[in-house]
Amino acid sequence: MKFLPFVLKHLRRNWIRTLSTVVAMAICIFLFCTLQTVLASINDMLASTSANRLISRNAVSLVFSLPLAYEARIGSVPGVKRVATTAWFGGSLPAKKEGKADAGAETTTDWSSFFPNMAVEAEPYFQMYPEFEIPPDQYKNFLGDLKGAVIGRKLANKYGWKLGDHFFLESFIPPYRKKDGPFEFTVDAIFDTDPVKHPNTDTNLMLFHYKYLYEATGRHIAAGTFNIEIDDASKAGAISKAIDTQFENSDAQTHTETEQAFTAGFISMAGNLAFLLNSIGLAVSFTILLVTANTMSMAVRERRTEIAVLKTLGFSSLQVMGLIVAEALALGALGGGLGLGGSHGLMFFLTHTPGVKDMLAGIGLSELHLKPMIAAMGFAVALGLGLAAGFVPAMNAYRSRITDMLRTV
Amino acid sequence: MSAQVEPVRAAAAAEPAAPMVDVRGVRKVYRRDAEEITVLDGMDLRVPAGEFVALMGPSGSGKTTLLNLIAGIDRPTSGQVVVAGTDVARLSESELARWRSRNVGFIFQFYNLIPVLRAVENVELPLLLTSLSKRERRERALTALKIVGLADRSGHYPRQLSGGQEQRVAIARAIVGDPSVLVADEPTGDLDAKSAEDILALMETLNREFHKTIVMVTHDPRAAARAHVQHHLDKGVLRQD
Repeated sequence: MKFLPFVLKHLRRNWIRTLSTVVAMAICIFLFCTLQTVLASINDMLASTSANRLISRNAVSLVFSLPLAYEARIGSVPGVKRVATTAWFGGSLPAKKEGKADAGAETTTDWSSFFPNMAVEAEPYFQMYPEFEIPPDQYKNFLGDLKGAVIGRKLANKYGWKLGDHFFLESFIPPYRKKDGPFEFTVDAIFDTDPVKHPNTDTNLMLFHYKYLYEATGRHIAAGTFNIEIDDASKAGAISKAIDTQFENSDAQTHTETEQAFTAGFISMAGNLAFLLNSIGLAVSFTILLVTANTMSMAVRERRTEIAVLKTLGFSSLQVMGLIVAEALALGALGGGLGLGGSHGLMFFLTHTPGVKDMLAGIGLSELHLKPMIAAMGFAVALGLGLAAGFVPAMNAYRSRITDMLRTV
Repeated sequence: MSAQVEPVRAAAAAEPAAPMVDVRGVRKVYRRDAEEITVLDGMDLRVPAGEFVALMGPSGSGKTTLLNLIAGIDRPTSGQVVVAGTDVARLSESELARWRSRNVGFIFQFYNLIPVLRAVENVELPLLLTSLSKRERRERALTALKIVGLADRSGHYPRQLSGGQEQRVAIARAIVGDPSVLVADEPTGDLDAKSAEDILALMETLNREFHKTIVMVTHDPRAAARAHVQHHLDKGVLRQD
């Protein structure tokens, strides 16, 4: 510890160089932590899916729907336990009508207050999603109320909604909009989830009757997707194929996949997002390693005389090497700390800024925060980069002879 | 000054006749590609304890090489270099570093202070290798600065000092560990006449009042004249005047 002030004073020797190195390191760690946090959130979302559930959608794109008649045919495929028609509603709260029973003539929509909401065929859907724990009496009320909504605890807390409250939603999807204004809903049930058994299940979600959507839109809409429960997860591939084969020659071909694959596809849309994010992180880290290594080499080269003096005064080669490594580690620690702070700040901003946080919640990334494990990994990467950058100059200082270093000045 | 050097001193004192510096039959050969350059050839030199010796000679005569061998920052190709009772050539690198910190104070021509450290911190630097507390280190560093007459400049950075003052700080750094031997490589070579005179006077004081054995390399006859003994080197061979 008594050498620490000595190390820190050397960092102050060339402010601009130290600062630029620290900032470069900070950007690297900021990117690493931010990308890893996004990846972790996506993985959490994928982990909340079940291997026993499949999702069938239009083979062309998720944008296109499927005929409602497919439900019975899918249900007849061997291995399928139950099927639920679902539609991603994409609704937002009208800006000036929240909490009012009368929708009125105004149709302004507050797109910033967006949260995931889906129309579902209630009975089969909730049977295949046991992680949504709804009190039986509330569930019964919901089943008997066409305009009823089941909302997650987090969503209820977010808007302060209680059982019996009314609210309105307006979809941004044209076929899901009514001529007479937004959809009115009543909070009939609030669901929780077991954080131990289902730690990744998000309760920032609202579900309502598909029948309501169907009837309110004049019975013109079809199914967005079919959620399917199967009796054996190991047969998911075969069952998916059997379902898709049924509709091979129809106008609306299906593409059936596991819920996890569907969610991953929904998030990444194209390509391997994890690979892309990790590649970016790796490329940035390697670049920063080169920058830091160059900085450390320059710093040590400039100080050859001082290193010779230290050795002359009695510092062993190992001690001199330790001082240089400590300096590199200090650079890493400073950059790492700054990068972690920046990443944490960004997460805080994203999850606390109206509009942004709702948009993230809408794609299932409401739990975007810097996890301790990722922070620890980020800091370890920073120290590792510092160590790697400082090691070669430190070894050179270790090996150099005093007389040679004094002579080259 | 330091209790740590007592065993070394005691060993030296046990043999009254033993010189502080005893260089016996030393050869130093440098290799440059396939060529061998003999810098010192069978060098013998004895410096009694408390002596002030000046080494003179033309460039390339081997003065600095001999000084480096005495200071333990270089090793002879053959022969013995015994300083304060220790044959430095027999020590490992880490032992040699420890030995240097306890027995040798080195004064460079260009002072070689650490620019990011204040004067007192520069002087304190060798004491970081001891087990002294922070307060004790600071006290000793201030005492050393007082001895060289720079107590009032303790908080100054090297860039805020004149050349002469920087060299005095360097001398304070050399004596703060209470070494047996001070080696100085052209300590006045970068100074004006007045500052050089002050530095030489200070070295004389250290020799006279603190009984430091001093071996000084110099080109300056006036500086050499302050020493008790002058040795002239020529092509790696010693010629005593």
